[in-house]
Amino acid sequence: MIALWDTTGQEVVKALAAERRSAGGVTSGLALTLIAVVDERHVRDTEQAAMIAAQQHPCRLIIVVRRNVLDQDSRLDAEIMVGGRLGPCEAVIMRMHGRLALHAESVALPLLAPDVPVVTWWHGEPPEKIAYDPLGVVADRRITDAAQANDPDGALKRRAEDYAPGDTDLTWTRLTPWRTTLAGAFDTADGTATSVRINGDRHDPSARLLGGWLQARLNVKPSFSAKADEPISAVDVTLSSGTTLSVRADDGTAVLSRTGFPDRTMPLLRQPLGEELAEELRRLDPDEPYGAALGATTGVKGLNDRDSTRVHIWHDPALAEKPEPDEPDTPPPARKTAKAGS
Amino acid sequence: MRRSAATEPVKARNPLRDPQDRRLPRVPEPCALVIFGVTGDLARKKLIPAVYDLANRGLLPPGFVMLGFARRDWGHGDFESIARDAAQQHARTPWREQVWARLSGSIKFVPGSFDDDEAFDTLAATLDELRASHGIPGNAAFYLSIPPPAFPTVLKQLERTGMADNDKSGGWRRVVVEKPFGHDLDSARELNSLVDNVFTPEDVFRIDHYLGKETVQNILALRFANTLFEPVWNSHYVDSVQITMAEDVGIGTRAGFYDAAGAARDVLQNHLLQLLTMVALEEPVSFDSEALRVEKLKVLRAITLPEDRKRYAIRGQYTQGWVAGERAIGYHQEKDVPADSTTETYVAVRLGVQNRRWAGVPFYIRAGKRLPRRVTEIAVSFKTAPHLPFAKTDTEELGHNQLVIRVQPDEGVTLKFGSKVPGTAMEVRDIAMDFLYGEAFTESSPEAYERLILDVLIGDKTLFPNSQEVEESWKIVDPLEEYWQGTTPYHYRAGEWGPREADEMLARDGRTWRRP
Repeated sequence: MIALWDTTGQEVVKALAAERRSAGGVTSGLALTLIAVVDERHVRDTEQAAMIAAQQHPCRLIIVVRRNVLDQDSRLDAEIMVGGRLGPCEAVIMRMHGRLALHAESVALPLLAPDVPVVTWWHGEPPEKIAYDPLGVVADRRITDAAQANDPDGALKRRAEDYAPGDTDLTWTRLTPWRTTLAGAFDTADGTATSVRINGDRHDPSARLLGGWLQARLNVKPSFSAKADEPISAVDVTLSSGTTLSVRADDGTAVLSRTGFPDRTMPLLRQPLGEELAEELRRLDPDEPYGAALGATTGVKGLNDRDSTRVHIWHDPALAEKPEPDEPDTPPPARKTAKAGS
Repeated sequence: MRRSAATEPVKARNPLRDPQDRRLPRVPEPCALVIFGVTGDLARKKLIPAVYDLANRGLLPPGFVMLGFARRDWGHGDFESIARDAAQQHARTPWREQVWARLSGSIKFVPGSFDDDEAFDTLAATLDELRASHGIPGNAAFYLSIPPPAFPTVLKQLERTGMADNDKSGGWRRVVVEKPFGHDLDSARELNSLVDNVFTPEDVFRIDHYLGKETVQNILALRFANTLFEPVWNSHYVDSVQITMAEDVGIGTRAGFYDAAGAARDVLQNHLLQLLTMVALEEPVSFDSEALRVEKLKVLRAITLPEDRKRYAIRGQYTQGWVAGERAIGYHQEKDVPADSTTETYVAVRLGVQNRRWAGVPFYIRAGKRLPRRVTEIAVSFKTAPHLPFAKTDTEELGHNQLVIRVQPDEGVTLKFGSKVPGTAMEVRDIAMDFLYGEAFTESSPEAYERLILDVLIGDKTLFPNSQEVEESWKIVDPLEEYWQGTTPYHYRAGEWGPREADEMLARDGRTWRRP
């Protein structure tokens, strides 16, 4: 591991090349570059997750921590790790202080592995608009987590309005076990669905998204039971034949009931973050079922018909958040933007 | 083909299944897996752990029952605790009590011997009861993990009780057969016609666990998903192909089976010929099982044997020596091996593939026990450049370009090519460029049995050879066996790369075996 304090982008590029050499023959090809935009407190669990995901998808991991963006003094600290405890993953952890943080792409672009897909993952509060973050604009696939938003209720709506094919959200990934179980239960369905009830908090993004998915597939608007702050615990579907299919979550298993048949159980476990991330990295093309479910959840139409490329919109939190607007905002130093590209 | 017929209407009816939705895993319909010979090594070390791993990954349907059948005085509970030990010891995924708790309610045992009519009637009744108790509409796969001589008895019992009948049972009934698929063409035909008659040919799954391996499936991806390799994948550019399957172990406790079979019947007839077809086949029209099978059969039928069998079909037998720092006894000293046994533990042959793509390219195939290390690989060696604009001394260290597919261990691909030695002189030598699947990835990638059991339950036949393939492979092995009849294998010391005669075989052609 190399640690560089108060350094420059060029130094980081050189140090990464040096680490790759000294780690011996790089043992595994790279499938992608993963940019993780995180807070300081999430750095360790991001590494942990990337380590699990890298076992299936060898990658270059670039962790970007932004600090004090309103500060006029810019500074870059970096840690570089190749192989070792991260497995088939090479990691560059960069802490960007001050205005530099708004131009993180100027440091990140030269570090992207040549000609492999780029995935950007916000592990924390999702951005208001992905186009505001140049690290999202360069990515082929963008992963957010609406569950970590300060306002989870509005977060899905914001994701839908901002949606472009290639976006995805970990609240959707977390639904895969539920969706698998429900699809399994539906294999033996003997009619069309007439009503769907989800036992879960109507404000929980995962529960809402599950409702959206069922609505998109079954054309029935689901109802939610009103318990607040509870994860999804059951889904009941009534069929036109009068049969009821229900799936109840029970401590790592799902109990499937169907009128006239004995109950059956299936495993239904929440995956660790690394497995969720690995599932996201398996396919890097747009996830249309997610687009459809998100559209049905929020009532925003035509998500999958949108253009998948974004153009960076310059958005300065200094102008939006600074308490005293009279202080003139200094334009970003020209030397930092020279490499930005967009 | 059958898969689409059997499962797609269900998918079309289920609005929650969307072909675009690739996150949802393939999960079989409610079904039972009946294992005959459940007390054997294979069941304990591979099958039961694979079933647990599938359950742990959520890949088994809600209605699933594992039914053991063996000649033991056990109840459901006894079998459950034995299955539990087996799964706990050999499963590759972490142990989760909840998963087992769920599975243990679905484990049943029927005691009985194979000629016991009553026991099979009980088995049939037990399967019928699952309809009501577990919501399984008659679907069952029978896994015959039993010695080949017991096949006819068990199959006849299945026929007699109507358990093998799709229509009578109201669901699908499939049978899984392990190698050996007979010991020559006639016995294979007999076995095939027996199995194919009791079940229907589409419902017979023959397991060649090599085809369940990630790297073997990758051969097709490598060849047909890229433009880089296919243009040079023919006799214009390929000099020769070497396929090696080496084991460092001896025959262990398998003397009874092994001494009657030998290396050619044990691995050449199935694993090695399957690897060869994967390398040599033409591009299939699609990747469904039928299209792939057509191409594989074409290759198998085009395989030619050497005219000069004395020199190009070499058998070997290990004598005592040292392997990996330990003294190893010779084949004749192994337990239960007759002192005058002429069974081979090593085989090397030169095969040809008689079609436009491969005419003139030798396929050197070798397999053996007590070789220096355990390794399986396929090396495609390319011709040297027609003209080298260098001084002769500059390229002395330059060999053939090679593409090596490492099947196990260190799964991956190596490309070997010439490159300049840094310095003022123009010197060219070989260097190897490696692609390695992440170590952790290959460890956690589905065990071959897991994949294959899942495919049986789903009904996907892509990775299973059918009766025709088996018979065609015997047509290749039988003439060799006939020639070897009455000859004595050459000797090699345990821990060597086979007998000297095998090296001479390649030297005669101006080539050498690659050291894997």
